[in-house]
Amino acid sequence: MSANPNEAETALAEAEAMSAPVREPATDMTGLAVIDPAWTNTGYWGPQDESLHPAILALRALFPDDVLGVTFFRDEVTINVRAQRLADICAALRDTPHLAYRTLTDLTAVDMLRLRDAPRFDVVVTLYSIPNRQRLRIKAGVAEGEPCPTLTGVYLAAGWLERECYDMFGIIFEGHPDLRRMLLPEDWDEGHPLRKDYPIRGYKQYVQPGFADAAPRITDYRRN
Amino acid sequence: MSISQMAPPATGTLEITDERQISATRRELVLNMGPQHPSTHGVLRVVLTLEGETIVATDPIIGYLHRGVEKIGETRRYAQFTPWTDRTDYVAAPQNNLGYILAVEKLCGIAAPERAQYWRVIMAELSRIASHLVWLGTHALDIGALSMSLYCFRERELILDIFERFCGARLTTNMMEIGGFSREIPEGLIDQIEHFLKVFPGYQQEYSDLLTANPIWIARTRGVGIIEPQAAIDYGLTGACLRGSGINYDIRKAQPYLVYDRLDFEVPLGTHGDVYDRYLVRMEEMRQALRIIRQCLDVVKDHKGPLMLNDSNYVIPPHDTVLRTAEDMQRHFVWVIKGFSPPVGEVYVGIEHSKGELGYYIYSDGSGVPYRLRIRSADFVNLQILPHFAQGAMLADAVALIGTIDIVLGSVDR
Repeated sequence: MSANPNEAETALAEAEAMSAPVREPATDMTGLAVIDPAWTNTGYWGPQDESLHPAILALRALFPDDVLGVTFFRDEVTINVRAQRLADICAALRDTPHLAYRTLTDLTAVDMLRLRDAPRFDVVVTLYSIPNRQRLRIKAGVAEGEPCPTLTGVYLAAGWLERECYDMFGIIFEGHPDLRRMLLPEDWDEGHPLRKDYPIRGYKQYVQPGFADAAPRITDYRRN
Repeated sequence: MSISQMAPPATGTLEITDERQISATRRELVLNMGPQHPSTHGVLRVVLTLEGETIVATDPIIGYLHRGVEKIGETRRYAQFTPWTDRTDYVAAPQNNLGYILAVEKLCGIAAPERAQYWRVIMAELSRIASHLVWLGTHALDIGALSMSLYCFRERELILDIFERFCGARLTTNMMEIGGFSREIPEGLIDQIEHFLKVFPGYQQEYSDLLTANPIWIARTRGVGIIEPQAAIDYGLTGACLRGSGINYDIRKAQPYLVYDRLDFEVPLGTHGDVYDRYLVRMEEMRQALRIIRQCLDVVKDHKGPLMLNDSNYVIPPHDTVLRTAEDMQRHFVWVIKGFSPPVGEVYVGIEHSKGELGYYIYSDGSGVPYRLRIRSADFVNLQILPHFAQGAMLADAVALIGTIDIVLGSVDR
C-alpha cells in the first residue's frame, strides 16, 4: 500500500469511479448481482480493457509497483503481480467492498521450466466474487527455493491447496501453519512430481511391501 | 517371485509405557479411523483426538488413491485424456467429462451444436441424480439406515442402464467428445429416459417417507455439523455444502454454461447449515434435475440439428465419411496419431458438479499435449472444513460429518 493511507483511499475511490459499468454496490452476500449485458458474453471475467476492469484499476491504484502486467485470453483476465506482495494483494481484493473477491477457488502452480529462464514457477490463484459473479486470476512468479507468502491468513481454503502445491512443486509457502505433504506419503524422498524435470515413471523402482525385489518393468516403453 | 525371496514380515514387539498411554495432564485419546473403514467412502484416513467422546482435533490424511492424474494429463493428447477424467470422480463420470471438454473447447474457441448441448445437459443431470443417489445411500447407511443404500442403488441402476444404452459403458462412460457427440442418439433412449422420469419421483418419495420425518434421522442430523455462512465462504466450499448454509452460488445460475440459461429450475438453499439441511438441499436438487431433464427432452425430441461440430481442426471427423473419403480418413489419422494443437493460452472452466465446483485449468503452450492440466475437484476443497466443524462434535457424529461433505476419494486424491 502507499505510505499515506488517505492517498491510497483517494486513489482507490478514483479507481472505483473510473471502473465501468457502474453497478449497485454488492451488499447482499447471498444475492446475485445483475450482470451488465456487455459482460454476459464475456463469461463474467469482466471487461477486456485495462482501463475499465474494476479489479485492475483498484490494484493499479493500491499497488502501483507490484502489478507487473495484465493478460487477456478468451474472456479471462490474468493479473501478474510480484510474489512478495501476493498476500497483501489478495487481502485487498477480498476487503475492497466493490470487488469482494471473498472466495479462493483454486491455488496451484505451473512449472515454467521449458518456457522461460526465470522465475521458474508461476503460482496461479483463481479468485471468485460471489456478489459480483466474477472471476479473477492472479499469477506470481516464484524462483526455485524462493519462498512465497502464504495466503492462509487471507483465505482459510488456502491451507490444503498450498500444501498440495508444496507437495507437487516444492514451493515453500512462508508462514503456512502446517506445511506438510498433502497427497504423497510423508516419507516420500523423490522430490516433487509435477515439476517438469520429474520423470513420468519416477526416479526409483517401486518395491512391493513384503517383497525383496522390484517387479520387472517394461524398459523400452515409449513414454518411459 | 518365489517365497524364499520374500522379505521377512515386518513385526516387532510393541512397547507401550504407561506414560505414553495415559498422561495425567493430557486426557486425550488419539483414534485412527481408516483408511480401510466402511464409513470413510473410500480410503480416507482420519486421525481423531478425543477427550471422552468429544472430538478435540481432526487430521484428515488423504492420498491413498493418488494416481497422479494431473501428471498423466501432461503426457496425453487432449482427446486422449477424457477417459482419465472418468476415473477421478467415478460416480459422476459424465460431469467430469463435461468439465474437461468444456475447458478444451474454450481453449480452442469452439462450441458444440445446440442439440449436443441439450444432450450434454441431460446426461450431466442424470449423472447428478446418480451421484446424489450414491451419496444418499452411503450417507444413510453410515448413520444406520441400511435399507436406503439398497433402494438408492436400485434406482441408480436405471440411470446406469441409460448410460449403457447411450455410450456402452455404465461407470466410466467417456461419454462427451470435443465438439459434441460423434454417434447418433440410440433408438429408444428417449423412451427409456421418459420411463425414468415417470417412475423416479415415486421412488424419491419413498426415500423422503423413510428419512425426512424419521425421528432417528432427525436426531442424528439436525443441529449436527453446522457450517456458518462465513466459514463456508472462507473455506471455499461449493455445491450443497455452501448452499446448505444459505449462500446462493450455483454455477448453472451464476455463470450459465451450455443451455442452462434457457432452462427453468430453482436452486434450493438451506437455512441452518447442518447435516439435515444439506440432505434436504440434495434431495431437492434431484427433483430440480428431473425438471431440467424434462425440459431438455421436450427440445431434443423434435430437434433435427447436428450433434457434432463439423468444420474444425479440433474435432474428430464423422465416422461414416472416414470410411469412404480420403480426406476425412487422413484427417482422422492425423487427429488420432498427432492430435491437434490449440492456441497458446490458459483457461479455467468451472462447472456445477454434483459435489460442487469442478474446475479444469489448462495451460497450453501450443503443442498437442497440455503443458499443465489442473483439476480443481470440489470435494478436495470441501473436505478441508472437516477439522473445523468436527471440533466439539461427538465421535458418533464423525461418520455423519464425513458423509455430509459428499466425498469420493478418487476425486479428492486425483
